Amino acid sequence: MTELTHEASLEHAHPEHEGTGVENRKLGMWLFLSSEFLFFGALISNYLLYSNRAGFPGVYPSEIYDIPFTSVSSFVLLMSSLTMVLAHNAQTRQDVNGTRTWLFATAALGSIFLGGQVFEFTEFIVNFDMKLSTNPAASAFYVLTGFHGTHVAIGVIMLLSLWGISRRRGGLSDRQGLNLELVGLYWHFVDIIWIVIFTVVYLLSVPPV
Amino acid sequence: MSTPEHIHHPSPAQYWKIAVVLAVLTAVEVAIYYIHRDFDLGHFNTVLLLLLAALKFVIVIGWYMHLRFERSTLSRFFTGGFILASALYTIVLTALGVIAIRGG
Repeated sequence: MTELTHEASLEHAHPEHEGTGVENRKLGMWLFLSSEFLFFGALISNYLLYSNRAGFPGVYPSEIYDIPFTSVSSFVLLMSSLTMVLAHNAQTRQDVNGTRTWLFATAALGSIFLGGQVFEFTEFIVNFDMKLSTNPAASAFYVLTGFHGTHVAIGVIMLLSLWGISRRRGGLSDRQGLNLELVGLYWHFVDIIWIVIFTVVYLLSVPPV
Repeated sequence: MSTPEHIHHPSPAQYWKIAVVLAVLTAVEVAIYYIHRDFDLGHFNTVLLLLLAALKFVIVIGWYMHLRFERSTLSRFFTGGFILASALYTIVLTALGVIAIRGG
């Protein structure tokens, strides 16, 4: 509790929002997420470029997608955005137990999504012999969804860290509350990128003719 | 600190309602995918699925990321990045013939 008070006094001594009227760290996170559009845009474009380009050996991702399975995964990730925003809401109401519960639920849903991705990759590699180097379409698919999965994994680690800090210190200080908000922004961003991937990569992909 | 975010944030009940809307939109997307597989909706399939994805995208950004309640500075930075990336890759994919091929 003493640590929380000390941190709160530090925040008053060093206000973090400058001329923009927005907390610097928050502005930084929004700018980072904005730049991530370019990153994922490149990977999605790469997939679109090769996904139905015929003439390469091996099976193409669009021939073996398991849409019901991926739909459930998408639903899980979408619902993790709900639990994330509920965690943030609980934090703003100083509801320590609520914050912890929803943070853990978000991390759990993120882990389920990651488990689904590992299962999907294993299925593709073992049952369909579609490896990273099988053809450009497979390569583009693994790189895109793999990088997205990496983002989810980083998010899960950050969520569990906040959950651990909250358990250890009996709650989150104002500064850590802002961290929760920033992790939340990151998490929702990962979700919106999956919304695009699910539609463009899974639902709209057509096998090569 | 009386920033707009502290005044207008939705309640937990509203967040649940938004989640239901997102789940329904996802179910509709999947339904359209299967309808198209059996009855070939043509270009209508692509347009519908992209519109539904855009709707989900805007709902998550607006309500869950609270962008509609934030200062316009953040909105401008974020939408600026999105528009820049979208324009860049649309031009690239058009130049490479991907968009025309997929549309045809």
